[in-house]
Amino acid sequence: MFRTEEMDINMGPQHPSTHGVLRLKLTLEGEVISDIRPVIGYLHRGVEKLCEHRTYPMIEPLTDRLDYVAAISENLGYCGAVEKLMGVQVPPRAQYIRVILAELQRVASHLLWLGTHALDLGAMTVFFYTFRERELILDLFEAFCGARLTYNSMRIGGLYEDVPAGWFDRVRHFIDIFPSREKEYEDLLTVNRIFKGRTVGVGILKPEDGIALGVSGPTLRASGVNYDVRVAQPYSSYEQFQFDVPLGANGDTYDRYLVRMEEMRQSCRIIRQALERMPQGEVRAKVPKYIKPPAGEVYHVVESPRGEQGFYIVQVAGEMPYRMRFRAPSFVNLQALPTMCKGQMIADVVAVIGSIDIVLGDCDR
Amino acid sequence: MTEMAKDGGARSGGRRAPDLRDLARQFLLLELWVGLWVTLKNQFRPHITVEYPKETVELSPRFRGVPRLRFHPETSEELCIACHLCETVCPDDCIHIVSEKKPDGKGKRLVSFEINYERCCFCGLCVDPCPTKPLTAIYMSHDYELADYQRTGFVAPLKHLLDGSDPTEYKE
Ligand code: SF4
Ligand code: SF4
Repeated sequence: MFRTEEMDINMGPQHPSTHGVLRLKLTLEGEVISDIRPVIGYLHRGVEKLCEHRTYPMIEPLTDRLDYVAAISENLGYCGAVEKLMGVQVPPRAQYIRVILAELQRVASHLLWLGTHALDLGAMTVFFYTFRERELILDLFEAFCGARLTYNSMRIGGLYEDVPAGWFDRVRHFIDIFPSREKEYEDLLTVNRIFKGRTVGVGILKPEDGIALGVSGPTLRASGVNYDVRVAQPYSSYEQFQFDVPLGANGDTYDRYLVRMEEMRQSCRIIRQALERMPQGEVRAKVPKYIKPPAGEVYHVVESPRGEQGFYIVQVAGEMPYRMRFRAPSFVNLQALPTMCKGQMIADVVAVIGSIDIVLGDCDR
Repeated sequence: MTEMAKDGGARSGGRRAPDLRDLARQFLLLELWVGLWVTLKNQFRPHITVEYPKETVELSPRFRGVPRLRFHPETSEELCIACHLCETVCPDDCIHIVSEKKPDGKGKRLVSFEINYERCCFCGLCVDPCPTKPLTAIYMSHDYELADYQRTGFVAPLKHLLDGSDPTEYKE
């Protein structure tokens, strides 16, 4: 006799399309997913615990290694948290340069996402083009701080040093050529019937589910929820820039794609404004040589390319934090995966994981 | 609410009911031709692949390779005054300094200075507090090819740090 029953299979931890070491336990009914449980922790390095035995400046290189494709956002969030704790006012020029760096990082991170997401869905060409443009941004970062991935680009109280000569012109050149390059990706994907077939209506996240699960960033905004930390709780003088927060209408994989594409354009707009109004002056506030913040607690959030990146510090005494906690957007956004995937086909899981844009280094910490 | 939110449905093309124009477009495979045109254009763009190790990219002046020590640019003396600050700030404990009092009683001088490249994360924090003038005694060099056959090869003694390591010929 024939009979049917549910089947459990493992996807990962060595599956290429999970963007790291993520294991998914799928329960299948034929090809349809009836349950999905993410198993994480393969990349756990205990960064929060490590922070308790390091002085404040020593922690910054560790934050590079949380979300390693958007290290500058982490640097910005961490330095912002310590500055808040110490009550340090960062000079305006440093704030503006930080905004440029953070927005370039957002573009670079979204380009990496776009390339790999398209690659997962079978569009190989886009991957090469996005990495070509990402390389231009990495060159800019290398010229600024000397590293290409783990930047350690900021210091508590500002920046290590001012930008090198001609750097602003190179940034301007990049944002001049970038819109035409983005048009090319759009030509390859936005109207492409295969891409649309794989993404439209796949992995729908309802706005109320998104809020209930604590999802943030482009993944939430694609569901139509207007929440962006840069607007809601401005930091590093984001309140001085005009930009739109792109929102989606349906909350599916295709909308998440559209939202991120639009975010890259808005990032270029912010960078252009920052370049035009760049203040002169110092880039590093006066901070003591040995950083000993006053006792207290602080929570600081920034909008990283993946969502709301929070840093919570408990300081009791001395040069080291008593407790450090990171609110990792990848970790929280991954919780929405079962909600998005239930009832979908097994092949759609790859599309949905790609569209949440998780980084396992950030997720497992 | 932004523009995209208002016409979100329209931008996400597939959501409205297809009309005759859409059908014609679909029949002519228009969007595929657009994509092919993009790839064709890119055939004529300059070649950007760098065939490492046959050719290498030019590094920017601030590039952070392995940390090294340097001499005074004019007097060619050792710049380092053995103040141990870099050892203190290094997050990975990879600098190890032994110093002694100078025979004439003023200040200290280095006996040995080791950097363990196996642990170094090239963060550049050690350069930050170095007090020597006119240049910092420790600096981030442009060397990045660090392969070696022995683990001891990664612990750079003072001589290597000052003169640069011997070029590794990748032969056992
Ligand atoms: S670069 Fe960083 S890890 Fe390496 S020796 Fe200097 S402080 Fe230590
Ligand atoms: S901080 Fe500079 S001077 Fe002091 S021990 Fe290190 S290299 Fe020498």
